[in-house]
Amino acid sequence: MVLPALVFAGAMIVFPFGYAVWLSLSEVSLGQPPRMNGGANYARLIGDPDFWNGLRLTLWLFAVSLSAQLLIGTWLGLLLARSRRAQGLVRTILVSPFMLPPVVIGMMAIVILDPSFGIANWILAQLGLPPRLWLSDPDTVILTVAAIDTWQWTPFVALIVMGGYLSLPHEVFEAAEVDGAQGWQRFHRITLPLLGPTIVTAAVLRSVDLLRFFDVIYITTQGGPGTASMTLNILAFRRGFEFFDLGYASAMMVTLSTIVFGSVLAFSRLRRAVTW
Amino acid sequence: MVGRRLGRAADAVALLLVLGVLILPVAWVLLSAFKTRTEVAALPPRLFFTPTLENFVELFGRGDFLDYTWNSLVVSGGSTLFGLALGFPAAFAMAWHRMTWPATATLFARMAPGTLFLLPWLVMFTEVGLTGTRTVLVLTHAVITLPVTIWVLLPYLEGVPRELIESAQIDGARQDQVLLRVVLPVVVPGIVVAAILSFVFSWNYFLFALVLSGLESKTAIVASFNFVGEGVTNWGALMAAAVVIAAPPLILAFLIQRRLVGGLVAGAVKG
Repeated sequence: MVLPALVFAGAMIVFPFGYAVWLSLSEVSLGQPPRMNGGANYARLIGDPDFWNGLRLTLWLFAVSLSAQLLIGTWLGLLLARSRRAQGLVRTILVSPFMLPPVVIGMMAIVILDPSFGIANWILAQLGLPPRLWLSDPDTVILTVAAIDTWQWTPFVALIVMGGYLSLPHEVFEAAEVDGAQGWQRFHRITLPLLGPTIVTAAVLRSVDLLRFFDVIYITTQGGPGTASMTLNILAFRRGFEFFDLGYASAMMVTLSTIVFGSVLAFSRLRRAVTW
Repeated sequence: MVGRRLGRAADAVALLLVLGVLILPVAWVLLSAFKTRTEVAALPPRLFFTPTLENFVELFGRGDFLDYTWNSLVVSGGSTLFGLALGFPAAFAMAWHRMTWPATATLFARMAPGTLFLLPWLVMFTEVGLTGTRTVLVLTHAVITLPVTIWVLLPYLEGVPRELIESAQIDGARQDQVLLRVVLPVVVPGIVVAAILSFVFSWNYFLFALVLSGLESKTAIVASFNFVGEGVTNWGALMAAAVVIAAPPLILAFLIQRRLVGGLVAGAVKG
């Protein structure tokens, strides 16, 4: 009964993956059969400033967005658990951002963040602040992207944390209260360690998406201005489908996949370490 | 006591602020979709206006957007059914034999960047002459829906009492009868969650259709992206398109609100 699924996975996942690895080790020019060229594509990566820029942006986005989402998400999740309000309309509002198609998020960002007609700059003006070039300032565009993703996915982290907290044994907290543990001490010594595995689960899911972040960037900036938001996935995509530099693009994609798998493995180790 | 009451008030204020930040951009898009061409870019923003359907009339008046919405429905529906047809028996066998490696292997598809598969797929499907058809989109989106289906269904299937299946086998039921007549009715709630999540993921998915669809098989998601690329100056129509493509996932998510996060996390806990 597993057979049809296995055949499908073989044809659509395993074979294409092998093919991509083979392409990444080949010289591919149009009209000629691919020819193995050792690791030349990978060697080329090392000397390519665009690659290093992409790697830097990818890791930056990953670190900044992940920290923001885990910090705010944990705070919000505990707030939701305390007030027991995450039902009905409140829950609908919380799940909406991450159920929306990324294309809608991108369109929303374009309209709201438009430098002259967007409402974001109008609000800044009312507050007496200077306007910003949200998506077209090379220095801050990646920060805007990180903020958009944080807006979209923090509620997801919060709901995971809330679920984790509500399933914890409550005697522990009562015992802590009896022993006089208060506020920060209680959070730091009891709540946080108990929530460790839950938070790591949220971190795994978010890091996979952040490392291969594509949709919202491609829709809003296509990696620009210049290469200011050209993360590895965007760079690889454009090399492959705009420049048809197939071997080289595949090498980037395989490298990115390795980074994603590596981070998942690292997180599953971390989860074992924090499991109680 | 006073401290506790203050704390509760602070919690309520904080929660309201968060909800405001989350809902305002979405509400803004929704409002804009019902504004006239001049109202939509007016600053200061018009909060009170007579709602109009002219943006939707213009959007669907372009003719093709209705076709693209239909494409999206066919592709999402097709890949959901395909994922269930392959995933339900597979998940059942995994639960029955208590083997987890195939499920773990499907996580690979869930983690790998979609771009990795795209080049090989483009070559493969061009080779067999399928590029630009809806079939390609159903097949590629099934790469997303199959792992979701398996992981969502596994816990439900592991909960089916073994005696139930064994007694059906003793009564001489064939494999497919056991699956459809005995197991399926018990796990309907799981099937619903798997189907809804699959549909939403497939509906929302952008990258595969961006490259592999043709002019005829374009999904509403890709068509909306093209509006952005064309630099459509009519924000009203743009926002109307956003509302049309946002509605199905939001409505479906609403139906399974309570099981939604559990379904999205499925797999990440064991992997």
